[in-house]
Amino acid sequence: MTHLRTLLAALCLCAVGLLPVPSFAATELVLWHAYRAEEKAALEKVVAEYNKANEGKVKVTTLAVPYDAYADKISATVPRGKGPDLFIFAQDRLGGWIEAGNTVEPIDFFLDDATKKRFIPTTMEAMTYRGTTYGLPLNYKVITLIYNKKLVPTPPKTSGEMVTMAKKLTDAKAGRFGLAYAYNDFYYHAAVMNGFGGGVFDAKGAPTMNSPANVKSVEQVLKWKNKDGILPAEPSSALITSLFNEGKAAMVFSGPWFLGEVSKNVEYGLATLPTLDENKGTPMKPWMTVEGVYVAAPSKNKEAAYDFAKFLTDAGPGKTLALEGRQSPSNTAVYQDAKVAADPLLKAMKAQVDVAVPMPNLPEMSMVWTPATSAMNTVFKNTATPKAALDAAQKSVAKDVAGLRKK
Amino acid sequence: MSQNAPQQPPSAAGTPVRVSSSHPAPDPSTAGPAGRAGGYRGRVLVGLALALGVSLFLAHGLLARANQERAAEREQRTAAVSLLGLADLVQRAGGTGDAVRAVVAGWPGMPGSAVRVIAFSGIRLEASAFPQDTGEKAAPRKLSRDEKPLYDRGQRLRAAVETNREEGGARKPEVESELLDAGASRLLSAPVEVDGQVVGSVESLTPAVVNAEAPSWTPVLLAFLLPLAACAAAVFVLSRQGVRVAVAAALFLAGLGGYTVYSLRALDAELRETENAVSAELRTRGEKAQALITANTLKADPALKPGAWDADMMRRPLGRLTDSGAPDADKLAAAGAQVRGNATKALGALGVVGLAVLLFIGLGGLHQVVRTMVEYRQAYAYITPAMVGMVVLVFFPFAYGITLSFTDANLYNSSQPLSELWVGFRNYVDILGDFSFAKTAADGSLVFNYLNFYYTLLFTIVWTVTNVTIGVTVGLLLALALNVPNLRMRPVYRVLLILPWAMPNYITALIWKGMFHQQFGVVNHVIRMFGGEGLAWFDSPFTSFFTALATNGWLSFPFMMVVSLGALQSIPGELYEAARVDGANRWQQFTAITLPALKPALVPAVILSVVWTFNMFNIIFLVTGGDPGGSTEILVTQAYKFAFERYRHGYAAAYSTVIFGILLLYSMVQNRMSRATEAA
Repeated sequence: MTHLRTLLAALCLCAVGLLPVPSFAATELVLWHAYRAEEKAALEKVVAEYNKANEGKVKVTTLAVPYDAYADKISATVPRGKGPDLFIFAQDRLGGWIEAGNTVEPIDFFLDDATKKRFIPTTMEAMTYRGTTYGLPLNYKVITLIYNKKLVPTPPKTSGEMVTMAKKLTDAKAGRFGLAYAYNDFYYHAAVMNGFGGGVFDAKGAPTMNSPANVKSVEQVLKWKNKDGILPAEPSSALITSLFNEGKAAMVFSGPWFLGEVSKNVEYGLATLPTLDENKGTPMKPWMTVEGVYVAAPSKNKEAAYDFAKFLTDAGPGKTLALEGRQSPSNTAVYQDAKVAADPLLKAMKAQVDVAVPMPNLPEMSMVWTPATSAMNTVFKNTATPKAALDAAQKSVAKDVAGLRKK
Repeated sequence: MSQNAPQQPPSAAGTPVRVSSSHPAPDPSTAGPAGRAGGYRGRVLVGLALALGVSLFLAHGLLARANQERAAEREQRTAAVSLLGLADLVQRAGGTGDAVRAVVAGWPGMPGSAVRVIAFSGIRLEASAFPQDTGEKAAPRKLSRDEKPLYDRGQRLRAAVETNREEGGARKPEVESELLDAGASRLLSAPVEVDGQVVGSVESLTPAVVNAEAPSWTPVLLAFLLPLAACAAAVFVLSRQGVRVAVAAALFLAGLGGYTVYSLRALDAELRETENAVSAELRTRGEKAQALITANTLKADPALKPGAWDADMMRRPLGRLTDSGAPDADKLAAAGAQVRGNATKALGALGVVGLAVLLFIGLGGLHQVVRTMVEYRQAYAYITPAMVGMVVLVFFPFAYGITLSFTDANLYNSSQPLSELWVGFRNYVDILGDFSFAKTAADGSLVFNYLNFYYTLLFTIVWTVTNVTIGVTVGLLLALALNVPNLRMRPVYRVLLILPWAMPNYITALIWKGMFHQQFGVVNHVIRMFGGEGLAWFDSPFTSFFTALATNGWLSFPFMMVVSLGALQSIPGELYEAARVDGANRWQQFTAITLPALKPALVPAVILSVVWTFNMFNIIFLVTGGDPGGSTEILVTQAYKFAFERYRHGYAAAYSTVIFGILLLYSMVQNRMSRATEAA
């Protein structure tokens, strides 16, 4: 009899175990990102803090996706509801995802003015597509002037100063150059182009590859290369790195990714890109890429996801990401911190971003790169004038855009 | 029929089996018509019944669906008239404030319908006649968090209006329609524009048509039974099978034609009813709106134009009704003609299919098919899984790709059905009709247009020819070297030489790309060791092409080597001995014995390898990536870029179809040529 009773009790216990546990469990949020090394560590630290503060309510788990497959993975999984609740990505793919639909959730509804105001305005602009905000800017990357302190005691403020300084430091026969940057790469060239007031799309999204300002900007760089002779030929990123490391390039225009490749023997400094004497002293305005935190449209916990995104882009976590992750947060309050303000990299990034413009987030942007690159190549191989090359690029981009927007 | 016992399936061993009955089974297709006349009557009748039955059933289904569509259109158009009328008034009231609430309160609704107004500024519910928005939740108030979709919908409409205005087209819908409660009610939303800015949205919830009245079955039965009865009579009177089938076909057309006339009439009536319903709605709404304008002293300028409320989803007026609600006869006739044209087309297609079925059955085709199926039922059972697999995995995607190539599908319109994106042969004309292949620059040099199809085709051909040549030459040389008799450690060499083939080719490709790196690559390292200067391999078309060529050469020789080695080992040694006795030298032996003996093995290998190389996506995509400027792109990688970089799916599909055409042509020519060589 007792055996039977124990057996019954055991069975009941088993049955209880099978019952669905009432959900006292915390809301689970999944965040995808493509960070590695210290960036990843800093992010995970911030997430752990959030989980501790909201124990029993929200639990955020992160997943680092290899960068190469990241964008495709989001395009494939998120619209089918198999993706994360939040993901971090640069703004360049934003337009494509919005046009494809059911990927990124608009957040204007949640967004209050106080939250909006805490970011650098241009980074917020990068998160906006057709007047609707789709994400909170987490951090940004931008090109600055990186110089060898031994060769350049004080960085040039204007392009005139830069050219005089660079001419003195150039000895083409010995392979020494005053300035080196990937000027035939359209991304790098954009700093000069935007400085002249040019751009690739007008306010209505029509391509303007051959606008007079764009032509002028290419002519300017052509002058630096041919007439002033301060730039090396065929500037691949590898060439620039090796020139800078060997002390054969005094100044470089590049972003934070370049610093990882700089050798320990080179003492370098960072400064804002010079202003353009040729265009009434307007500053060079590089394109910035802004990494935003987006709420996935099919997420079941959009409010909790937004609240986490808001936390992640706040000043406190921003400080951790800046100091430990070596990233440049979009939150302005971060830069009032003494430690951040004293950091030369973060300081230079902040100074530069104030004049930078966000890279267009229109899906049509992917049609610009190939024609633009071939235009730059033909110009610098002296096979076409800047005007003719950009006219050809304009024709090609306009054709592709028209092909997409037909009807 | 029972006499036509199916033949036994052949036995597994393949030996002919004797038919068990003492008489061979008569083959009905060869038996004279006079002997089997009775059995053929059934075919005609069954054929007619089947063809007529199926096509009438489908035609009835089409009519029912058309009626349903008409009813839905009627319901949606009346709802849109009401909603756009309200939007017009709200705009006149300035989008916010008490005047808006007065308009909403005064806007008449049918039972079960309600309207509300959302203002973007402050994310507010400005006015609402929804039953749940009373008491504490009465408008005006801030939208609660669970009402986010309302706000997002309004913002989507705003973005759509701005996009359409900027692009000067109509790409995005400016009115959204959604069925709620499992299709029981329809939610329509439209933007509110004040001074050229979208400041909010209006929404209406109306009961949706669940089921339109189904068309009656009587005409279907009539159109089915009358021809069948007539045919039954005719079959017994007429004796020639051909004439019987012809009569059946005529009766089929008469039956279907009769039903077509009936359904076109029914459609016409529906259309008129729709127009009347919308017209009545327009008139009452127009009068009410005028009254509300005067009562609330709203902006009366510009004058009210109710005709514009009858609009499509892009808010473009349909123009079928005038401002007073009277139908515009010309527009109406055009719309009617279009509906009739579509119906006639659909029914015409049905007629063709039905006729084909009738002829197929009546002339004995079905009988033949069934007989072979039964006879070889085992064989068919075995290949069924493979056939299903082929249909799902090969034929369906293939047909879909071809269909896609006739459309303008792209990123922006991927949600629309393909039939709305039909552009005919335009993609093909764009691809094949563009001859801007190259032009002369100012200094007389030739500048290629790398995006041009013919440039890419030329490059692909050069790429294929060079690769196959290298693969065959290197492979053959290595095979000859390995075939030396009594070579020591031959298995080791063979394994080593096959290794490139055994590795996944994308890993090989990435390794080679690294080797050609300008600064850190081993190739430039070696060049520098000998005092040269490293090359920027991917900066000029020729060197870039060379890197891909080297990679693919490395990957392709092992296959050729294995094939030639196998063939070499099967050449009897006596042939060479005899040749030596006859005094032939090494070269003569090679050209007269080795090469001809290799041909049967090498020709198929070359054919295969040409196709592989032509479509060698991995190597080009991973090694050169088309650099510089798309000059080293082959056709498949170019198609990929059109699809996933420029987002033009239809154009890319046409591109792929052209590639398929080229390869098809190639294999046909190749087939004929190799057949000729085999015969020789």
